Amino acid sequence: MAKDRSQRDEYTTPLRRLLLGIVVLCLLGIFLVWRIDSPRVERFRAQVVDTVVPSMDWAMVPVTAVVNLVRDFQSYQRLSEQNQELRSELRLMRAWKEAALQLEQENARLLDLNNVRLDPRLTYITGVVMADSGSPFRQSVLLNVGERDGIMDGWATMDGIGVVGRISGVGPDTARVILMTDASSAIPATIQPSGQTALIAGDNTPSPAVEFLENRELVRPGDRVVTSGDGGVFPGGLLIGQITADPGGRLRVRLSADFERLEFLRVLRFHSAPPIEDSGDIVGPRRPETAIAPAEAGDG
Amino acid sequence: MDRQVSQLWTKRALYLFLAFMIMFLHLLPLNTQPGRLPFPDLLMALTFAWVLRRPEYVPIPLIAIVMLLADLLLQRPPGLLAALVVLGSAYLRGAAPGMRDAGFFAEWTTAAVAITAVFVLNRIILAILTVQQAALGPMVIQVVLTIAVYPLIVLLSQSGFGVRRASAVDSAAAGLRS
Repeated sequence: MAKDRSQRDEYTTPLRRLLLGIVVLCLLGIFLVWRIDSPRVERFRAQVVDTVVPSMDWAMVPVTAVVNLVRDFQSYQRLSEQNQELRSELRLMRAWKEAALQLEQENARLLDLNNVRLDPRLTYITGVVMADSGSPFRQSVLLNVGERDGIMDGWATMDGIGVVGRISGVGPDTARVILMTDASSAIPATIQPSGQTALIAGDNTPSPAVEFLENRELVRPGDRVVTSGDGGVFPGGLLIGQITADPGGRLRVRLSADFERLEFLRVLRFHSAPPIEDSGDIVGPRRPETAIAPAEAGDG
Repeated sequence: MDRQVSQLWTKRALYLFLAFMIMFLHLLPLNTQPGRLPFPDLLMALTFAWVLRRPEYVPIPLIAIVMLLADLLLQRPPGLLAALVVLGSAYLRGAAPGMRDAGFFAEWTTAAVAITAVFVLNRIILAILTVQQAALGPMVIQVVLTIAVYPLIVLLSQSGFGVRRASAVDSAAAGLRS
């Protein structure tokens, strides 16, 4: 029997080695192609996700619902406490509502006086969150709207109140939203009332950091942060959150959107976003030929 | 003999099913807040546990397909971790016969070495190719959690899914079959 086995190994081991080599080379090849030509492979990934995840949806919806039900049930245990909280909050809100109504009327009057037209291009599509990124190191969610609904890469996504992230990766029926908390997310913003511009860069923590701020002295915790619209990728004036300072003294943004429970998200149609076709080039001085050519054309 | 063949394919299908279940659990949109504790890599622990017990239940192409799918679905760089897990399981496949009499602690150590090697190599290769990656702290926690969860997975596979080491009778039958 032992001889039998060794004979078998003599044939199977080299074959297995060959198979192992081929499989590993294929996988590493895919990885290298991804590293060299990321958008194409990412598109492929979007397609795979688009075919696999919706087929899990029938099971995902009830399981998620049950877990959320259990969590809600846990919160029922401190019902009276919550009731008190809500009452006091409601009282506060009434005062705010009065103020808001007055401001709204005033605003409408002023807009009318100035003959201002609001931007009609900002319409939105609402999608439901189907799945999250599945990895603790990436912050993204998958929406059930995609190319079919006209979603395009780069569009801003909000919940009812604040910015949540941007679309990155669109399949026929699904679209991925990179959340503002993801380490690869950076969004140009304006801090009001000082009007300073900065980048809101995610770093896998619940509140993203404020970077490239020109003058720190002008910014205080509690200031409002809105998108600036710089770069033409995001529409300007969307609420992001409020400035806070972490114990290390670094400025961060407490996000207005409720990241605890992302369920329905609005995708804003915004048509100035240029389509992203290839991976980014190295940033550097422009070559002289390209700079000269249009000038000559203009002369002639 | 027919029973054995059908059992072989049942167990392979079971592996595929479990892999899908794990990915499904990862994808549930329960918590979209960052800063939670990283999750152990159950898929890797399951694969290594099965390779050390019954290599024939988890052939190389099956591991490759499952891990590549996991890479694609869980937003990891596609292919790299899959290749490393395939290599790690090939190493464990070679080590499995010697492991039979060594006891569980030795097996656990070997698996821990393989898991750590996979994560470290993954990090080094990503660093060489300057791919943006997660902070070191959560990654270390993930490795430790994966190693810690390994005995549980072994227990579950042995008592729940009937993936035990081949006994002398089984291997004799396998010898006769070939």
